[in-house]
Amino acid sequence: MNASSLTSNLSISNSKQFHHLSKQLRPSHVHFATISCRATKLVEETKNGSNFYKMLSVNPKSATMEDIKRAYRSMALQYHPDVCHDPSMKEESTKIFVRLNAAYETLSNPMLREQYDSELGLRNNMMNNNNIVNEEIWRSRWQEQVVELKKRSNRRMEQRGRSWGSTSRMRTQSMKDRN
Amino acid sequence: MAEREPAYTVASDSETTGEEKSSPLPEIAIGIDIGTSQCSVAVWNGSEVELLKNKRNQKLMKSFVTFKDEAPSGGVTSQFSHEHEMLFGDTIFNMKRLIGRVDTDPVVHASKNLPFLVQTLDIGVRPFIAALVNNVWRSTTPEEVLAMFLVELRLMTETHLKRPIRNVVLTVPVSFSRFQLTRLERACAMAGLHVLRLMPEPTAVALLYGQQQQKASQETMGSGSEKIALIFNMGAGYCDVAVTATAGGVSQIKALAGSTIGGEDLLQNMMRHLLPDSENIFKRHGVEEIKSMALLRVATQDAIHQLSTQSSVQVDVDLGNSLKICKVVDRAEFEEVNKEVFEKCESLIIQCLHDAKVEVGDINDNLVTNLCKITEVYKGINPLEGAVCGAAMEGAVASGISDPFGNLDLLTIQATPLAIGIRADGNKFVPVIPRNTTMPARKDLLFTTIHDNQTEALILVYEGEGKKAEENHLLGYFKIMGIPAAPKGVPEISVCMDIDAANVLRVLTGVVMPGSRITVVPVMEVRMPMVDDGHGWCAEALNRTHGATMDLVTLKKA
Repeated sequence: MNASSLTSNLSISNSKQFHHLSKQLRPSHVHFATISCRATKLVEETKNGSNFYKMLSVNPKSATMEDIKRAYRSMALQYHPDVCHDPSMKEESTKIFVRLNAAYETLSNPMLREQYDSELGLRNNMMNNNNIVNEEIWRSRWQEQVVELKKRSNRRMEQRGRSWGSTSRMRTQSMKDRN
Repeated sequence: MAEREPAYTVASDSETTGEEKSSPLPEIAIGIDIGTSQCSVAVWNGSEVELLKNKRNQKLMKSFVTFKDEAPSGGVTSQFSHEHEMLFGDTIFNMKRLIGRVDTDPVVHASKNLPFLVQTLDIGVRPFIAALVNNVWRSTTPEEVLAMFLVELRLMTETHLKRPIRNVVLTVPVSFSRFQLTRLERACAMAGLHVLRLMPEPTAVALLYGQQQQKASQETMGSGSEKIALIFNMGAGYCDVAVTATAGGVSQIKALAGSTIGGEDLLQNMMRHLLPDSENIFKRHGVEEIKSMALLRVATQDAIHQLSTQSSVQVDVDLGNSLKICKVVDRAEFEEVNKEVFEKCESLIIQCLHDAKVEVGDINDNLVTNLCKITEVYKGINPLEGAVCGAAMEGAVASGISDPFGNLDLLTIQATPLAIGIRADGNKFVPVIPRNTTMPARKDLLFTTIHDNQTEALILVYEGEGKKAEENHLLGYFKIMGIPAAPKGVPEISVCMDIDAANVLRVLTGVVMPGSRITVVPVMEVRMPMVDDGHGWCAEALNRTHGATMDLVTLKKA
């Protein structure tokens, strides 16, 4: 129990370390890093270049405030623990949502976002020197995610516009088409 | 896992799973709005929210319980009017103002002019509350009275829905401390109800508003752009404000503010205005005094009601004991004696907007429930029913019910109404989770020792908005032991606070020495609140016994 709680604690500190770094030389998360072996997964995630933009599946360069808000809401509808009705997944979804929030809080605040961007830029440059392939992998993965999310939201919007009956008719039709 | 849950929750969890096995449909939790003065129940009936009525066809039932010889009866079933019942000292009401408060609380002191017995000894323990039955003061507690009332509500709902009721979503005031929330849960448990969720009242309204906005945007094929709403709710006991950003069925609570002010204060101020020496006159608290107090209360209530439609009112009441009031009161006087209450409302709204970083011009809708005087008001929600309907909707959502029309594709992202932190830097309250932090939340802060070779640290966990520790509610305390001997300021004590989706608060601590990354003592995980009655005492006693020997300061890094 302790280990898992602290792991999740680590994850938040991790995701927030960029703007914490400027205030604190050593972010507090490091203390817990060795407590749990489960932490490795999260360390990997950071190594792989997970960042706030990817978490929200938005474009770091072009995402507007409205885009970020929309992405956050749609992710919240998927990952908020209230939406999750499987008790065994509650803890996991809580962790995801807490990270999502950290991402949203930074990116939805113009000042924090700017600060984060500059720190991210530094970090990415370093990473580029070390491992360009890695960078490309996540970029393509991220683009895939955006495409899928857009598809999903388009589908949702279309369905919203129609009545429930017509939606289900449409579904049946598309199933027939596929067959 | 189980040890983290209070005993009664565990019991109910196992019971519900048992029920679920036998019936394929999940039980839909009902929504209850227990107001200080009135109460209502609503449930999602499969396609919409339905308000339930009692046998006398009332949707809003007075919150009171009358103690009779044998069986007490509450406002759900009682035949008499509240006003009539009040005269004999056997009726207890305003439970929500009294629950979870100690006898040094000004709100408890103000309750001493209610027509039943509220006795205080001013030492920080729960007040003595009693109803007069057959000339005997029979003691009770706010929890017990609430539980009796909830049992009536439960029976009414069960009769109506023809199924047993177990799970409820309850609306609560924003300003309730975690300690008060546990007392409320206790009252529900006593009534055989399992609290699925406690929702701050304006957030329940926000959920309903979110649903209406979503519906509207579907109908107009609109883009469903974000709407900012200010929700203001003033009931008899509490005043709550929320600012929410809503789009696509998701309501995000940006800020909350609340205070223990309400219609009850308007009433008491007015009573004092009509009979300035009332405290002395009623001091004896005998049968006669109770009758006089009740008569004054009823007359004042009537006068206030009349003042909402006419500019002045004639108060004519015989309080017995050759005590008569014959006075004309106008609206200006009413506003003057209640100036402070209205100013407090205003400051709550300003604070909430400030916290939410929202300008008045950004607001799309003002939602006002109960009494108020804002000019432009959103008309889509019945002010008296908004909270209970929102609670019923949350009940359906939280029970995992899905609606084919997407009416339940809703989510409220809650925020913490009060800051939670520890005592440090002398006698300061240092928040670890500030107020209006999105929930679930997890935050940590570093602290360090104030003495050389200090091996123990006392963690005092508080909740509230006060700058000094003792101005806040003490939630619990524990000691970190085994800190390695080191000069002051060297050991790093990490205090992490975690609020999960069910609003359960846990405090985790670890100790790390510089140069190492391993915590030198086992991590402590403490569930809060752990303090029951007499929280003021604990802090005082701890201070008397240990002084500053185990104190902490925040660790400032270069």
